[in-house]
Amino acid sequence: MTEPVLSIRDLVVEFDTTDGVVHAVDGVSYDVHPGETMGVVGESGSGKSVTVMAALGLIQIPPGRIVNGEVLYKGRNILGLDEDELRKIRNKEIAMIFQDPMTSLNPVFKVGDQIAEALLVHDDKLTDDAARKRTVDLLEMVGVPNPDRRFDQYPHEYSGGMRQRAMIAMAMANQPSVLIADEPTTALDVTIQAQVLEVMKVAAEETGAGTVMITHDLGVVAEMADRVTVMYAGRVVESGTVDEIFHNPKHPYTLGLMMSLPRVTGEMQKLLPIPGNPPSVISLPPGCAFHPRCRMSEGRELCRTKVPELVEASPGHMSACHFPDEVAIEAKREASVTGLEV
Amino acid sequence: MGTFIARRLLYSIPVLLAATILVFFGMTAVTDPISQIRLQPNVSQQTIQNIIDRKHLDEPVVVQYGFWLRDVFFNQFGNTALGDQPIWPDLSRAIGNTMQLVFISELIAVVLAVVLGVFSAKKQYSFFDYATTTISFFGFSVPIFWFALILQALATWFFLETGFRLFYTFGQSSFAPENAFIDRIQHMVLPIVTLSYVSIATYSRYQRASMLEVLHSDYVRTARAKGVKERVVTMKHALRNALIPVVTIAALSFGAVLGGAVITETIFAWPGMGKFFIDALIRGEVYTLMAWLMVTAVAVILANLVADIVYGWLDPRIRYD
Repeated sequence: MTEPVLSIRDLVVEFDTTDGVVHAVDGVSYDVHPGETMGVVGESGSGKSVTVMAALGLIQIPPGRIVNGEVLYKGRNILGLDEDELRKIRNKEIAMIFQDPMTSLNPVFKVGDQIAEALLVHDDKLTDDAARKRTVDLLEMVGVPNPDRRFDQYPHEYSGGMRQRAMIAMAMANQPSVLIADEPTTALDVTIQAQVLEVMKVAAEETGAGTVMITHDLGVVAEMADRVTVMYAGRVVESGTVDEIFHNPKHPYTLGLMMSLPRVTGEMQKLLPIPGNPPSVISLPPGCAFHPRCRMSEGRELCRTKVPELVEASPGHMSACHFPDEVAIEAKREASVTGLEV
Repeated sequence: MGTFIARRLLYSIPVLLAATILVFFGMTAVTDPISQIRLQPNVSQQTIQNIIDRKHLDEPVVVQYGFWLRDVFFNQFGNTALGDQPIWPDLSRAIGNTMQLVFISELIAVVLAVVLGVFSAKKQYSFFDYATTTISFFGFSVPIFWFALILQALATWFFLETGFRLFYTFGQSSFAPENAFIDRIQHMVLPIVTLSYVSIATYSRYQRASMLEVLHSDYVRTARAKGVKERVVTMKHALRNALIPVVTIAALSFGAVLGGAVITETIFAWPGMGKFFIDALIRGEVYTLMAWLMVTAVAVILANLVADIVYGWLDPRIRYD
């Protein structure tokens, strides 16, 4: 396997709030290789966004605090670099696409100028004309019609899908080696989501970048990802290839996510939601953070007392569950309840 | 933009007409226009009869309104009731004097308030932020006449201690000054400090609040993620958005202040609109008061127009066609 282009190692990020310390990210590690797409899945508040924001120095410090960890970009630790060094990496090496295209573009500047700015800040020699030409090409690449006219329009003259295309154009402007998409389709209509995912694929091919696709939508993961990292309460609970995760989950949380997914094939079936709510990241439950909601753990001493390590459950497939092999049995049991098959 | 301004000016005509109706009928409903004059012992019956004839006070109110309207638009507000003196020369002088004060103090206030507000927001909860907050709240709470009197007392104390007159506490200019320009500035400093201090207190709070909101917005995060320098993020991406609310407040209060900073002008004996108003009120000169009201109405209308134009320049979402 090739060297990972982005490697997050044991990242710990905390936030001081009036209610206490929030353990937003608690020892997260994952690798992204060139050209592959890493899907990062989890509920709101599971720390998937904070992980990448911290990597790029985009969280506010204070109240935020990076306690531990490394973020290796092409082998070099970029965590805690000074602002000027980080600035040179942002967009040029690691580019981000944000969740809500309606608010992520500055309403008072032309869309074209905002994209061109990404080019101009990283290249002193670039002329405004050349930047405009390249921007128009980028807009064309992401499928914005009439790119030359669209360059001079303001964000409010763009639809949601078009804005997200513009954001993607901005992200691929400098041919970055890593593209981070933070829930790129969440704020969009379902019909637009598929189009934007197609554009994401174009962007990944065009730049040859490794992609981090943060989402809570397993459909997006199935569509886009090569490998998957599942996060829960600031920790990685399972990781592996997309096939392994979908067909042979080794963590009850992953199984729960899949059982709560509606299927369009076969008969109408009941969904089986994960009971309870995500835990407060200020006071995590002792032991395995998932145990109060876990159908497998009920009554088990080990789940309540010992935090499970992320270990290899089968080759290339990591799980942070004390009983990874029972997930398959549980899956069969739940399938019999709902008539679903995993 | 040109058509927008033209259209807005056309809209102003009915607004202005409505203002004349409110001003005239409001005034005549409140009082007989020459009631004060009637009470003066040294004014003869003949003089009063002359005023009644000149101002058509023995005709129906609507007809009086018509004559007054003609005076307003074609005769520079006409003449005073008692003495039959033209109103406009004094009024225009008062407008000019108030403009000097208000333009300079509002300009200082807006610039300083924006700078203070931006820095307070960038360095939220720092010593600088707390200091500006404290000084702003002091500016809110202190009565303006008290603050003006303290400034006068300080200037006087300085003069008595050193024998050197730094600032004048009274009037607009000295009799036969050596250097008219410097003399004017020495007279203006204290009223300007008084006026701008209160405005800075208000505007800087608005600037701080809107800047804080914008600095936490998604598009500012996008700008940072693009690799834009923090200084450019603040001054370009954030400030342009954060200026919008402050421009509203400043432009609107600018129109109101043009009507005269009554208290400040009175304390510093500055012969501006505020003092003009008070003097006319004391003398019971109804026609002068109505002229003053009309000028203030025009000032407010123009200030609103300017606010709209600046909006359109700051925010492309506001369209004018």
